[in-house]
Order: sequence, then C-alpha cells, then structure tokens
Amino acid sequence: MGVRPPLLDYVRDVFSRWAFIRVLGTSTAYAKNQNNYLGQLWALLNPILNATVYVLVFGILLDASRGVDNSIAFIVIGVFLFRFIDQSVHGGAQSIAKKTNLIRSLHFPRAVLPMSQVVSLLTTLVPTLVVMCAIVLLSGLVGSNEPIPVTWEWLLLPCIVALLWLFNTGLAFIMARIVAITPDLDNIINFVMRFAMYGSGVIFPVTKYAEELPQAAQAIVEPILEYQPIGVFLYVARSILMQEESFPPSGEMWLWAVGWAVVTLVVGFIVFWRGEERYGRD
Amino acid sequence: MTEADLDLDVDLEGEFEPEDLQGPKPVAHVGPPVLVVDDLHIVYRVFGGKARAAAKSGAANVRAAKVEKPSFVKRLLSSGSGHVGAVSEVHAVRGISFVARHGEAIGIVGVNGSGKSTLLRAVAGLIPPASGSVYVDGEPALLGVNAALMPQLTGERNIMIGGLALGMTPQEVDERFDEVVEFADIGDFVYLPMKTYSSGMAARLRFAISSAARPEILMIDEALATGDAAFKARSKARIDEVRKNAGTVFLVSHSIATIEAMCTRVLWVHQGQLVMDGPADEVAEAYKEFVRAHRRANTSARAGGVGPRARSKRRNREVAEAKTGDATPSDGQATDAADAKPTAE
Repeated sequence: MGVRPPLLDYVRDVFSRWAFIRVLGTSTAYAKNQNNYLGQLWALLNPILNATVYVLVFGILLDASRGVDNSIAFIVIGVFLFRFIDQSVHGGAQSIAKKTNLIRSLHFPRAVLPMSQVVSLLTTLVPTLVVMCAIVLLSGLVGSNEPIPVTWEWLLLPCIVALLWLFNTGLAFIMARIVAITPDLDNIINFVMRFAMYGSGVIFPVTKYAEELPQAAQAIVEPILEYQPIGVFLYVARSILMQEESFPPSGEMWLWAVGWAVVTLVVGFIVFWRGEERYGRD
Repeated sequence: MTEADLDLDVDLEGEFEPEDLQGPKPVAHVGPPVLVVDDLHIVYRVFGGKARAAAKSGAANVRAAKVEKPSFVKRLLSSGSGHVGAVSEVHAVRGISFVARHGEAIGIVGVNGSGKSTLLRAVAGLIPPASGSVYVDGEPALLGVNAALMPQLTGERNIMIGGLALGMTPQEVDERFDEVVEFADIGDFVYLPMKTYSSGMAARLRFAISSAARPEILMIDEALATGDAAFKARSKARIDEVRKNAGTVFLVSHSIATIEAMCTRVLWVHQGQLVMDGPADEVAEAYKEFVRAHRRANTSARAGGVGPRARSKRRNREVAEAKTGDATPSDGQATDAADAKPTAE
C-alpha cells in the first residue's frame, strides 16, 4: 500500500477509471455555475466578455493587428483557445493541491484528478466554440472585413481542439506535480501565463513584431515564437477558420501540433506518475 | 519535549506489547490475515504559521522535529521564518504494528489527535508511510466518500460520482441506485441538490453510497455519529453483513458505546503509538479508565490554565501527578521516565 504502481499497470488503471474522469469532469463544470441566476449561461458569457475587452483594447484602441485584415476574428480565436490552455494550467496546478481531502479519503489513480479537470474545461469549451465560430462569421460582415466563407476545412476544428486537449492534459499533469510538491509555485503561474499570452500572439500577431527586431535577435526569437506550442495551435486554428493570406493552411504546422500534443502528454503523464505515491502526504 | 509527555509515552509503550504477543481472542468467524501493518510511521509536512517552534516544544507527536536551544543569531534569523517558509513536520503515527484477519470488526479508540484517522488513512493506502509498510489482501475502502461529493449537485448525481469514485462501473451504480436510496431513506430528496439535505440525511446518503461498493475491507471514520436510532441499527446490520462475507471492518469513533456494540476487537492508540490491542470489552474498559483519569488530571490542571502559554505550568503539575500514578493507567513509569529523560535532550 502506498507504493507507486508500475507504469503500464498505472495506465490501465487510469483507463479503467474513464467513466469517473468523465462524470467528475462534467459535474465539476456544471457545479461551478450553479450558484447564480444565469447559471450555465455564464460558461458562454465569460469568454465573450473576455474577448470583447481584448477586441476593444487591442483591436480598436491600439490597433495592434499588423498585417491581419480581420482583427476581430484573430483576437476572438486567440482569446477563446488561450483561455482553455490558461485554465488547464491553473486547474491542473490546483487539481491535487485543492483536493487533498479527496486524496486522503479514497483510493484511485491520482492522474484522474488533473484529467477530469481538463475534461471539465473541455465540456465548457465545446459550447463556447460554437459561439466563437458565430462571432468569426459575423466579424466578416463588419466594416471593411471580407465575408468569411464556411468551408469544409471548418470540420478540422474538432481535430485541433482534440490535439489541444491532449496537450493541455499533459500540461495539467506537469503543473499538478509541481504545485503539489511546491505549493509556492502556484503564485508564479499567473505571471508565466501572462507572458505566454503576450508572447504567443493571442491578441496581436507577435511574429510580425519580431520582424522589427535586429537581424541577430530575429534569427533566435522568430523560430521560437513560431514553433512554440501555443503559437502552433493558434496558427492552425486560425488557418482553419480564417481565409487569410497571413495564415495559409500548413501541413507542417499540423505536424508540429501533433508532435507537441503527444510529447507533452507522454512527458506530463510520466512526470505525474513518478510522484504518484507522494500526493496527499502534505 | 517535557518530562510529562515523555514519561506518558514511554510507559504506555513499555506496558503494552503489540497484539502478536498478547494475542487477540477471535470472536466470530475469524479467517486468515487480510491486513498486516508492520512498524508504520507517518510524517506530515505542515505548511504555514508559527506552529513550528510552538509545536516542537508542545505536542509529543511533533517529536521528530529536532529540539535545540537556539543561539541569539539563530533566533534573529528565524524570527521571520515563522511566516516565510514555515514548514514543520508532525509525526502522527509512530511505529504501529498489528495484523487484521477476515471477519473481524476492529474499533480504533484514542483521544483527539492521537493518530486514529491518520492510521486509518494510511492503512487504506491514502497517506504514504514514512517508513514501515502495510500489506493488504483486497481493496480497502475508507468511508470517506463525502470528499468526492458535490453539494451543489443532486443526490442522484452524487450517487453516481461517489460510486465511480469508489471504483464501481456506471452499470453497477445504476443497479444499486434504488438500494442506496432505500438504505439512506431519503426518498425523493435524492433529486434535490445535496446542500438542501439535513445533516442526518447527508450522512445517511454518504454511508449508503460507500457501503454499497461492498468492499472487502470497510473503514469507517466517525460516520455513524449522526443519524437516528433506526439508521444506527441499519448500519450495524450492514457492518455485520460485511463481516459475515469474510470482510473486515475498521471503525474509528469517540463513542466507546458504538465501538463496544459493533466491534469484536479494539486498538487503543495514544500519541501515535499502540497502547492496547485486544477483545472489545477488555480494551474498552481500560480506555474508559484512562479517560476518567485523564479528565481528573485535566480538571486539576485547569486551575493553572490549559492554553499553550500556561501549558508548561500544567506540565509540571502533570509530572507530579504522573509520579503518583494518577495520570496514566499504568505503574512503574517513574523508572521509565528516569530512563527516558536523557534521550529527550
């Protein structure tokens, strides 16, 4: 008892708890918005309000959308998807630390907790994705923007969201382990994520800004900005939904997305598993 | 560490050997061993507060932390450390060994903070041991399902969550749904959010969910305190049923009456160590005697105050009491205390 199981047994154990992960995740998502008048509607309103702020500030006031025609679609896609990543990191970080009680009273593979956290975020994400697509379509009718056609490519959106889900699960695993062992790091996450948001072109095309750097710095910074995971996922999502020259569909980017998703998930899972027997001691 | 704490511990340990020597008298259908606990130690890491210094000199459970007289410089350095990076260790369970067999109902008694719940959780494999080991034949289930439940959601949803948390499949939960509702006796309230339940109803539902999983080893931590007489009778029936199916039941409770009624064997834990292990009535009797003595000691100490600041005064008094053989249920501790004193410094 209280000894870490072998990796393969652990994986099997986690899979056998899939129903628990699903039910725990959806229930958490539902319970979160139970205590106010608008209830589940807040799951939609929250990201919309969030996106509105960024569209107003960065899209209209600062006009930071260099080389992007449809800045509303650009920002909305960025904000909605980044929110999923951001919340997965935060949720994953707290999934063990805040559930010490549960860990101390029931016996189950602890990987269930970060996984169900991300599942819970995914269930709230799915309806907001519909809203996101609607906003993207409407943005094509606003001002000088060209209408955005609905193409067959839109069907690829669930694929990139699925990859993003795997990626986020991996992130949540890593954060869960780190914060469970060193609770202090929870306070740093906020700043790191803020940095990640501005550094990965969530609300303005950061790669365009990088072109203004001196040649030497550009050679280092540009590939990092382009191929870092958040940038890759956002690029692919935008290339699917927006028909713009700045985001041509790219098979290479899809490969990067798959790579990041798989690598992060596997590494995260192993990192988490190696701490399995320590969770709940403190 | 003071002499009072120390001699209390030492002579408790000295007097009662683990059950292997004493030999529990099997009462009903006792089978082969199902659970072996071997020299178990549990150490908690505790974050926050100035607790460190106070805890070091205070409760005996924190003995693991090194006690030293700080120099002036050290005191200066550590004056802020109570708030920055305050981590202390609590040695909650200190070397407990016992063997549980199929068909036993084992009660665990002890005063507050003696390590009962920690022991139970460690045996269930929920808190990793610092040293020593626990061997289990079968999957222990702690009746602690409430941690998984969500008060905002309906009882129906919570039965599903709880059941899955206990390792059942969705089909199994569906099959047992009616049985759970019936056992909890909550009727149509099952379709309302759990936060609308009375505390008795919530407790009944929790017990119903966790015992629905039919575990081989059922562990109950103070769960039966709430609930009316009819429910108590039903839970006793459920516990007996688990026992008849060659399962093992652990029950932690402050109510010595509950323990006596439901258990065949009792472990008495004090300050993280096993004091006594044997048939329910014998241990219960000794424990009651101890509690009475403890109460007397506390009443007389209250004159000097029982707060942490006044504790040292009280401790001196307790030493005096212990020397007259009043505070502990054993004798001969004066020599033990004398032996132990040097090790404390």
